[in-house]
Amino acid sequence: MNAGRASRTLLDAYLVLFFLYLAAPLLVMMAAAFNAYPQPSVTRWQGFTLHWFAALFTDARLGTGVLHSFLVAAGVIAIAIPCGLAGAAILSRLEGKATNLLYAVMVSPILTPGLILGLSTLIFWSPVGIGAGLTLATLAQASFITSYCMLMFLARLARYDPTLDEAALDLGANPAFVFRRITLPFLWPTVLAAGGIAFLQSFENYNTTVFAIGGDYTLPAEIGSRMRFGLSPAIAALGVLFVVATVGGAVAWVVLRRRERGG
Amino acid sequence: MRKLFQKLGIVPATIACFLAAFWVLGLIVLPQATMIERSLWWEEQPADAQDAVQKLDQAWIRQAELSLEDPSPERDTELAAVEAEIQRLETLDTAPVRAWGLTNYVRMSGLHLRIFLWTLAASLAVTLIAFVVCYPVAWAVATAGPGLRGPILLMGLIVPYAVNELLRIFAWLILLDREGVVNTLLQALGMPGVPFVETGSGVFITMVYTYVLFMVFPMLNSMETLDRSQVEAARDLGASIPQIHRRVVIPHSRPGIAIGCIMVFMLAAGSYAVPWIMSRGVGGDWFTQLVYRQFYEANQWNVGAAYAVTLLIACLAFVLLVMKVMRVSLREIAR
Repeated sequence: MNAGRASRTLLDAYLVLFFLYLAAPLLVMMAAAFNAYPQPSVTRWQGFTLHWFAALFTDARLGTGVLHSFLVAAGVIAIAIPCGLAGAAILSRLEGKATNLLYAVMVSPILTPGLILGLSTLIFWSPVGIGAGLTLATLAQASFITSYCMLMFLARLARYDPTLDEAALDLGANPAFVFRRITLPFLWPTVLAAGGIAFLQSFENYNTTVFAIGGDYTLPAEIGSRMRFGLSPAIAALGVLFVVATVGGAVAWVVLRRRERGG
Repeated sequence: MRKLFQKLGIVPATIACFLAAFWVLGLIVLPQATMIERSLWWEEQPADAQDAVQKLDQAWIRQAELSLEDPSPERDTELAAVEAEIQRLETLDTAPVRAWGLTNYVRMSGLHLRIFLWTLAASLAVTLIAFVVCYPVAWAVATAGPGLRGPILLMGLIVPYAVNELLRIFAWLILLDREGVVNTLLQALGMPGVPFVETGSGVFITMVYTYVLFMVFPMLNSMETLDRSQVEAARDLGASIPQIHRRVVIPHSRPGIAIGCIMVFMLAAGSYAVPWIMSRGVGGDWFTQLVYRQFYEANQWNVGAAYAVTLLIACLAFVLLVMKVMRVSLREIAR
């Protein structure tokens, strides 16, 4: 019992260190956002300022980047939800060896580096007239985000009671009616969840996007190129906004998760 | 197939097939196939075409010389002959022809090969470090029990995980830059500064931080499904803490460990953001940067495609290796 308590204490000490390691860099970044010094720094403190936040809102390229990111995310959702649902519907109703192969192909983009997705999309679509740019980035992102949506729909469909369909069909409903009145209401929560995941995945994607977007830019692409060519505390200010939004989202997620598990 | 149409109805089944085909063929299979196809050929000029280009150059020069000379019957005949020759040479087919083979793969220079191997080795190291660092954390969160401890720990993990990759990198750039926080502190203590960004060590340090949490969540999900009474039973039977983990917890958590390893390795080997930002082109190159340059700077798509396929094969090999070692199936991994 003593050994157990000792190992618990050791584990707790380790946890403290680990969470310090996780949090410290982000806290430093957030502090740098309020420093008047024109380079992001906390060691050369020149007084508190909100100037960098104001600079964010007057920055035209960042604004355009946000707009582009929303456009791409909307395009990704428009592809990922219907295609993911179609993929899940086909997988859940097929049997045999071909299904395993189809499943492997459909989940493969999740296990493929973003670079490969971006470049293969570029090679295939640019001869057809869709060169590097926002549309191509949308297609490249959709290839793997659809996989995530498909898996979510597949999990939901596994809990679907097919006798509901049969009962409705026996009572004289046509398949379109069954889909609209029974299947779709059943799937609706997953549609919303998958849409949210697709949006977040798309909005924060850098690795796939940068290989497909060429000279155009989304918000992450713009942030990436700025970091390379000179640091600005404005990026740190953007980081503060992201962290605050994330904390809000994380609290909501933890609360939901506990409620779901009856915790 | 017929069953699908019966179950879904003809119109929905047709729409579903069309949508799924667009995704599977248009966004996955055909792009990959085209990339592999392009990596297998290159363009070269036929040997006689190179000869013809040289002759054409000489003919152009001669024509220019002749047209500057004073008109005379000899000059006129030679000029006519040269112009006829130019016309003949221009109609010759000098278009490059496609040659097939593995040249794009084997032409990789020693330097590029070294960078490729370094990328794989460093990614393996990142994966290993992530596993060692995250295992106790995942265990602690999974066994937090009721109360607020679990959710608070979970929050502490989710926030840095969900903050954009680029911002996590940015935070480390502030720390490790030449005049960054770490170097300022070192100098204040009277120690020499460390050129993290210039030597490539910054790339590695940042990579561990950026991708470490992709190991925690899959392991946590697996560990949470472990029945605690198994651990109790092992303890009652006299198993030590390492034994409990080796014989009970790790075997149960195989799928989570496998996903974590695959994700971290894939993200590290395929990372563009970390080396691009943390090296500023001075420190260690990463293989992804070579691929990017083949496409967007050298404009050598076929060589770039070969590089990309090489990376893809390495990642695929890693996925299969992990699945074999951990004895998990694809269905257990992708859930």
